[in-house]
Parts: sequence; structure tokens; C-alpha cells
Amino acid sequence: MDVTLNRIDYLQIGVTSQKCMRLMPAMGRKATQKIAIADQNGILTCFGIRKGESVPVFKTLPGPGINRLDLSGVPGTTQEKIFIASASEVRGYTKKGKQFLSFETNLAESITAMHVSGSDLFLCSNYVFNHYTDCVDQNYFLAPDKINDVICVSTPISTSILACQDCNLHVLQNSTALHTVTVPGPPSVLTLFQGGNEEEVLYGTSNGKLGLVKVTSETGNCIWETTTEKRRGGILCLDCFDILSDGVKEILVGRDDGSLEMYAFDSAGKPMMKYEHVLAESVTSIQGGCVGKPGYNEIVASSYAGWVLGMTTEPLLKEAGPGDELHINKETETKLIKLRTELDELQAKVLQERERYQQSSISDATLSSIPPFSIRDKFVLSSEDATYILGIEVQTAIDHVLLQSDIPIDIDDVDKNSAVVSHSVCDNENSNFLLATYRCQANTTRLELKVRSIEGQFGILQAYITARLQPRTCQVRQYFIKPLSLHQRICSIDQSRPMNMVSLTGRFSLAEIHSWVVSCLPELPERAPLGSDISYCFRNTFLDTHLQCNYRNGEGVFKSDNISTISILKDVLTKEATKKNISLNVSCDISEDSVEHTLQLIKPRLEEQLHLRQKVTLIETLKELEEQEGGPECLSHEFRALLEDAEQLQQKQKKQHNYVERFYGTIADLFIDKFKFKGTNVKSRVPQLLDILNNYDFDTLVNFFNLP
Amino acid sequence: MDSDGVQELITGWSNGKVDVRNARSGEIMYKDNFVASVAGIVEGDYRMDGKLQLICCSMDGEVRGYLPRGSEPCDNLIDGQAELENLRELSQQRQNLLLELKNYEENAKVMDSSETMRSCRSPGIPANTHLESVLAVNPGSETQPPHVQLSVSTSNDTMIRAVLIFAEGIFDGESYVVHPDIGNLSSRVTIALRPPKNVPVDLHVKALVGYQSSTQLHVFELTRQLPRFCMYTMCDPDIAIVPKSHVILSISERVQRVAIWLNQNFLLPQEFVCDSSFLNVCFVCLRGSGSLSISIKQNAEALISTDDMDLAGDVIQSLATFLSISDMPVEAYFPAYVEQLCLALHKNMKQRYTELQNLNRDLLNSHNIRCANHMELLSDLKIINKIIQKAGRLRVGKYKTRVVSACRDAIKMGNTSGLMKIIEIGGASVQPTRPMPPSGLAP
Repeated sequence: MDVTLNRIDYLQIGVTSQKCMRLMPAMGRKATQKIAIADQNGILTCFGIRKGESVPVFKTLPGPGINRLDLSGVPGTTQEKIFIASASEVRGYTKKGKQFLSFETNLAESITAMHVSGSDLFLCSNYVFNHYTDCVDQNYFLAPDKINDVICVSTPISTSILACQDCNLHVLQNSTALHTVTVPGPPSVLTLFQGGNEEEVLYGTSNGKLGLVKVTSETGNCIWETTTEKRRGGILCLDCFDILSDGVKEILVGRDDGSLEMYAFDSAGKPMMKYEHVLAESVTSIQGGCVGKPGYNEIVASSYAGWVLGMTTEPLLKEAGPGDELHINKETETKLIKLRTELDELQAKVLQERERYQQSSISDATLSSIPPFSIRDKFVLSSEDATYILGIEVQTAIDHVLLQSDIPIDIDDVDKNSAVVSHSVCDNENSNFLLATYRCQANTTRLELKVRSIEGQFGILQAYITARLQPRTCQVRQYFIKPLSLHQRICSIDQSRPMNMVSLTGRFSLAEIHSWVVSCLPELPERAPLGSDISYCFRNTFLDTHLQCNYRNGEGVFKSDNISTISILKDVLTKEATKKNISLNVSCDISEDSVEHTLQLIKPRLEEQLHLRQKVTLIETLKELEEQEGGPECLSHEFRALLEDAEQLQQKQKKQHNYVERFYGTIADLFIDKFKFKGTNVKSRVPQLLDILNNYDFDTLVNFFNLP
Repeated sequence: MDSDGVQELITGWSNGKVDVRNARSGEIMYKDNFVASVAGIVEGDYRMDGKLQLICCSMDGEVRGYLPRGSEPCDNLIDGQAELENLRELSQQRQNLLLELKNYEENAKVMDSSETMRSCRSPGIPANTHLESVLAVNPGSETQPPHVQLSVSTSNDTMIRAVLIFAEGIFDGESYVVHPDIGNLSSRVTIALRPPKNVPVDLHVKALVGYQSSTQLHVFELTRQLPRFCMYTMCDPDIAIVPKSHVILSISERVQRVAIWLNQNFLLPQEFVCDSSFLNVCFVCLRGSGSLSISIKQNAEALISTDDMDLAGDVIQSLATFLSISDMPVEAYFPAYVEQLCLALHKNMKQRYTELQNLNRDLLNSHNIRCANHMELLSDLKIINKIIQKAGRLRVGKYKTRVVSACRDAIKMGNTSGLMKIIEIGGASVQPTRPMPPSGLAP
């Protein structure tokens, strides 16, 4: 069944953060629902829609930015009390806009996630989870990593679930952790599945995966998870609602690349995408309901830049008579006229203010200080192609972005972008290895890029983001590229592989060694988790080699099947220790087999790439042959198949054009590192190695590595 | 493209993007991506169905056609959509204005309390910060070749974190970035420019100004124009090496007007003033291609001496445009070029021409042979076909078709004796004696 939904824009407010909009419960059976939404200007707005016009119910005064919004009420009655969290304060409003609660919590940091149920408040700020009943502190839990979201599955026993950055859902009862459920990415949002079935929880991850887990007090089982056929943006919000009125609730998903999706279930209970719409900005909250017109369900969503919009099932042009169309046009017409006059007034006011600002620049006692504009950015490793995705989204149009890096990295454009890229010549004396400008087209608010780093080269990538806003200002964002930048956290490593080991002993504390490891590897919490022994496992997303880190007070052991990883770790850790004036005893245990093992890991993929390259070079020639002979009949089966897949192969080659070079680079590193541990410098033999690689033969390569 | 009677601007990019824009607002109406660079964009009725198409071709040979959006169907719907789009845009504009307003308000708030805030770490910079820019010719040093130097500086202790220059035609891309190391920031940045051609260039300079630790910077934007002949520096006429070649023309305008032209088109350390009725200036090219001297005598006779004919042309064209001279005869004397021309004409060209002619004749001959062979081949084929047809007409029904097909098979196999036999006895299957490659009969 095809679903067509029509977009209606309701209102625009300030920048919204994740989960900041909810629909108020409907009053009667046929009534429309009101929308409660809070923005970063600190304004809570509640409005309804009458005849396509937004009619405000109430609006609060501006204040500190609001991070979360939730609805609650006395159990058993309609959930129509609005709770908002801003900084470390929670406020409650009735549906009429009367403030009935102002609760200054004892949290040191601002609240990042909130769930309200009856008179129970579940609040999270970065690493801390707090539970209050009637504003009285009940439970407390320190999570091992940043908490992204919290929900509570059944109130009487109060089992809460924390979505943590470390790819785990932590299931808590009161203050104690019962168990954890591992999900395939850092979970960013949780919601109860089907809205009522207590123990099933739907999660969305920041790498775009969606799944359902059944959580009990003993275990958590994965029921299903989506398999990503193509890369999708991170999930920011989820809801379950029966839009299609077929008796089964659909899943509504909003992502940070602006896509808005609806999943329905097939007969086997597996989710299938039924509808997709792409907005220009990321979707921060989503909910199904009935807002615009009684009897027509719709998906209500809020975007990052503050648009509230509905994707309604109501047809835009119904079978009604021609008079009706005119009516719709008239409506928008009046809206347009109203907006235009408002714009004119604003323009005049802005001109006046601009004048005053210019005036002020004459006197020298004053400061010119412009409030920063809001930016949503992300810099995450995508495991599929071992590159970082840099996403930048600004509340208003971007003028240009300057990227600067002090280490050599490669930047790939993403097809969706329409920005004009220009790479500038770099002067290495100012430690610039990358200078690139992205001049954006009008009305571009998002920019996405792929950044390819090389392990062992670490530094900072800086983005200077200039918005198209007067007075012109620019914000600097820094992204750290760590020495082992391509590593990703996993649960356990394959112990059967031949392992190299480096162990450190010395007079250092757990916190110290943790900070050193954090400076080496991504996806680790800033502060050391509780416990005396810490263990983390990683996987190299490019080579698929593993790394295990175990450390405690005064001792650290690192194991990997990749000798380069160990070499980089050893270098960085000793450097960090020297910085702090701590002497280390370093001992290495190198496995001779590990190098060949790593080469074996690279072998199939390198060979695939080489084959691909060979095939692609053949395509041109074969095409010419085909033309000469007047058809593909003259060619052998193999070549005919090749010609048929020509386009596909070329696409693939285009996508992975530098994979071979990347592999060659890692093999050369491996070669140098292997002999470094033996104490010989083999830099002079690298050209010889490259020669062998250019006439690739696996056995010759292995033999070359095994030469003394 | 949208059938509204107004043409859209269509751009093809080296990264394979194709954009369709509203020519007035620059807004993108449609875009597509090719795998390779876009090689060409044309409009044409390729399918011969009376509808004009936009046709784009990429470097690797992919061709795509785009039909303009039809204007007839769902007229109303599009109208409605357009209005909604309009509404959205206006609302976004309002949001931007509100943001700007908020910026001023917040700024005013800070200003009121600025006396107390000065010591605090605030993202602000003094309100009277100005950005100054100076363009000058740098004759170069041992480490640096000569260039035009643009120096950008702030009026106080604020630092320049980076300078971006957007300009067309003088950099590899469209922009050039100077990003000093965070450790040696200063309030002054110098940029070396080397425009390769004698054309005026607009430099759109954006300087990011703030303090060392600021995460928010102010963007100062200014536009400077590089004069057409900025790569020429003035020197003393007495010491300059006089070029061998020159052009002589007559300029009836006052010499002062020419002085104004000099000031506008060259980067001079100070304004050039001419108070006499004659003029004599000399320049040296920073690209290292000799000198240029311009002198105007009292009798309005002007002498432009340079060994570079291109440069002389540039100077004359620019001067003529400036003085709004529509017709001007010029006497030119370029011994080096004349020599080259002679050489090309008399020796090289003649020789090449003869060689080319010989080659052409050979080509023509071989083509004629090919043609003749082809014609012969065709007539032979005709005879064979005729005979087969006749042989077929000797039989009736299925025997007729069998003979024809058997004959064809025999020809394909190159089985001549079999062919004779078939014509003689009919379509009995004849085993091929030896396989032959299929006959490629193309001329």
C-alpha cells in the first residue's frame, strides 16, 4: 500500500533540542490535540490549530534553554501536566499554562534526559541518574558513560532503563544495576513499544540502527533490529502510533539527516519502511496524533531550527468542488500578507538597530559581543568504510565553513552537498596540512563530509563555521583525531588470534592511565569508571584487527594482533607518561605469527580491490571490442559478465578508489613496526616493499616480511 | 526548465554536479549528480518529439536528458506548493531577522555592563575594531619570489585567526586560506598573491578576528580590487633596460588623464602626479618577463615599449577603454616576433605543409583503393546472392527455402565446393570441410 502524506507547516519557534515536543491528550472523542513545545530560548509554547491557523493556548517568558519536555499526570487520569527541564531545574505547568511546580534539583550539571511518571521524576545529567518522588531524592546511579536517554518500564517496581553512550542499555532497579543489554551502536533514544506493553523497549542509535528489546528484571533479549542496507542518519526521536488506522501501531522515526520515516509490520512481525520524507533540517521530536483537522491522523514533528510541522493523511486537494481550492489559496494568501507586513516592520526595526550598532563602534569603551548561534555537530566513526562523518547543522543558513587540520587527512564530499569546495595550498611551517573552504549555497543549513584519517597520525581538525547572519560571526569547533582513530568499541575479542603484548608498570594511578588511554582511543568515557580493574575491547574498523586494554593502578596490559597498533600505543603511552614525569617499565611480547596473520586478514580484501581495479581497466577495452564486433557475442562468458556489471564496478571503484593505497600504507607501516620491535630501521627497504606490492603476490610479500 | 517562460541558469561542475537555478535569485530548483565531471550542457530536441530537452554529458561519456517540468498537469497543486514554499521562506526570513535583532539586544545588554565586564572572559572584541588592508608590490627577497602583497591588520590587540580570500582565476580553487599557527598569532597577516594574467580581480577577503582562546570570532568582510597591471612595479626610467620592441600611437587626450589611468591600473607606492605635458614611466614585471615603459611626448605621440606583444595589447586595450577611444591606428615594431614569424613562414611552415600534403595524398590513395575493393566486393556479393536466388527458384516449397539456407550456411563456412553441390542437387546437408572465421564484410 502506498502512503501519501502532505506536509503542513504550523509554526516556527526557536531552536529545539531532542524530545522537546509532545501532543496533549485529546479532550473529546472528535477533538484535535494541542501541541506543547519548548525551545532553546526557554519558551514553552502550547498551541492548537483551528482552520489551519495556529491558536496559542499559552506561552511562557524566555529563560534558560529547555532541554527536555515530558507529559505526566496522576496515574489513571489523563496525562496532561507538562514538565520541562532547563539547566538543573524542573518546572511543571498545567494545560492552561499555570505553573504548579518549580523544583531546583541538587544536580551539579544540567539535565540532559528526563522521564516523568506520576509524581516520580527520573532525571539524568551526563553520567548521573537521579530518581525523585515528590521532589524527594530516592535513588542514585553513576553510569559508566554518558547517558543519552532514560525511560521507566513499570512504575510500581520502578525499573528504569538508561541508554548509555557505551552501546549498552543499563537496567536499574532502585539504585542498583540489574544487568545490561548490548545494542549495535550508541543508543540515543528510547521509547516504550506499542505505547503500553510494559517490557518491550524500542531503541534508536546514533549510527542509525533501530531495534526492539524485551527487558525483564533478569535479562534483556533482542527481538529484532533493522539491518542497514544503506547508511542512514542517527536517530533522534521515536514514537509508536497507528497512522494508517489499521489497528497496528506504526513506528515513527526522526533522524539527524532530516529524514522522517514510518515503519509498518509485515506478516512475520518484521518492520518495513512504508514512508519516507526528507526535511532540510534534523528532526528533533516526533509524535503521531490528530492536530490539524478532526478525523485525519498525522505525524507531528519538530525540526532543529524550530519548525513544527505535520505530515497529514488529509489530502491536499480533495474531491471537493472548485470553490474549496480557492478557499485554501485564500487562506495562505492572508497568511502571506500578514507575514509580509510583519517582515516589513521587522526590517525597519533591524535597520534601526543596525544603525545603533554602527554608532556604538565609534566609541572605544564598548565591547562588541554577539551571542553565539546554535550549532549541532557530530564527528563519528562509521564502521562500514572506516571513515569519520563530520556533520554540521546551524540554526540558520551557513555562509561558509573553513576546515583546517594539523595532520594529513583526506576529505571526501558527500553527494548530497551543494557547497562549492576549494582546497587551498598548505604551508607546512604553520602546521597546516589541510585548508579547505566550503562555500554554501543559499538556504543550506546542513553540511556533511567524510574524513579519512591515518592511524598513528593524531591531531586536531578545526572547523570555522560562519553563518549568514548580521553581524557576521564565526564559531570554531575542534575535533580530536586520536592516534588509534579507526578503532571501535566491541564486547570481546577473539582470543585465538596470535597476540602481541605490551605491558607497562610504574607509579601511576588508575585515573592517570585511563586518561592516557582516552587520549589514544575513541569512544571512551572521559572519567575512569568505577572498579579497580578496567578492561576495554576494540576492533580496527579498517583492518578488522582486535585490541584489548586491561589496566589498573600501576599496571597496564595491551594486547593486539596488529603489531602497528601496539607500536602506536606504546609510543603514545610512554610519551604521555614522560609528560607527567612518571617513569615506566615497558616490556613487549611480540608474536612472530601475528604479522602474517594480519597480512592474511588484509589479503582477501586487498585482492578483491586489485581485481576490481584490473576489471575496471579492462572495461574500456572490452567496450571498444564490443563496438567493433557489433555485439558482445564475440567475447567469452567472463568478459560478457564483466561488461554487464560495468557500471556497478565503476561505481564501486569510484567509491573505494584509494583503498589499495590505504592498504599499501598499512602494510608498509606493519613492515616498519615489525622491525622496529627488533631494533632495526628498515625505512630504506620500504621502496623495495612497494615494488613487491606493485607486482602483488602474497607469498613473495610474506617472504619479504620474513627476511631477517 | 520550469516552463515559466524565464530561462534558468544551469551549471555543470567538475565534481559531477548539475544545478538548475533561478537566474535572478540564484536559488537551486533542481540538482543531479554525475559520477564524473560534467563535460557539456546543451539544449536540444534529441528524441525528435518536438520537446526541447536539457542534455548533460559527463567526462566518462554518460549522457542524461531532462525534460522541463510540464506546465499543464496539476497546475493548482504546484501553485499551492509554491505558495507554501513561499510561506516557509518568508518565515525563515523572519526568523533570521529576529535572530539579528536578538544579536543587537544581547550586544546592547553586554555594552551596558561592559565597564565591569572588561576583565571577564567574554567572547567580545572592542567595538571600534577595524580591519585595514594594504596592497603593495613586494619586489621579493632571496627566499621569496617577487609578488603582490596584501596585508590585513586589525586596529588594536585583537588577533587574526585566519584570512580567507575568495577570488576568481588567481588561485587553484576559488579560495585561498591563510591560517597562522595558534602559537604565533598576530594582529597582522600578509598574503602573497601572484595573479597569472593581466586582468582586474576582485578579492573578497574575510578575516576571522578574535583572541587566542576565543571559540567565537568576528568575521570582517571587505572587497579589494587587484588592478589589472598589479604585477608591474615602477622603476627609474634611467636604469631600466629599454626593450627592443615598441608600439607608437597618438593620444590626443591630456596627459593627466593618462596619469589617472596609471594610478587606477598599476599598484604604485604613491599617487603618480604629472604636472608637465609629457610623461615617461617605466615598469618591471614581477613575473620576470622584462620591462615596460610608457612615454608620451608633447606632440601627443605615445611610445609603449615592451618585448611582450600580449602585454602591449593589454595596455592598449585598457587605455583605449579608459580614454573611450573607439578607433585608433597603431604602429607596431616587434623585431623578435617578426623574426619568429619569418622562421615559421619560410622554413618550418613550408616544410610542414609539404609533409602534410604528401601524407594527405597517401591517405587519399589508400582510401581510393579501399573504395574500389569495397565496390568489387559488393558486386561479387550481388552475383552470389542472385545465383542463390535463382537456384532457389528451381525448387518449390520447403526445398526452396532449404536450398537458400543451406547456401547461406555454406558461404558462412567458406565451403565453396559444398555450395556448388547444393546448387546442383538441392539442400542436402553438406558437412563443412574446415571452419572459417565469419566474414567481416565492412568496408
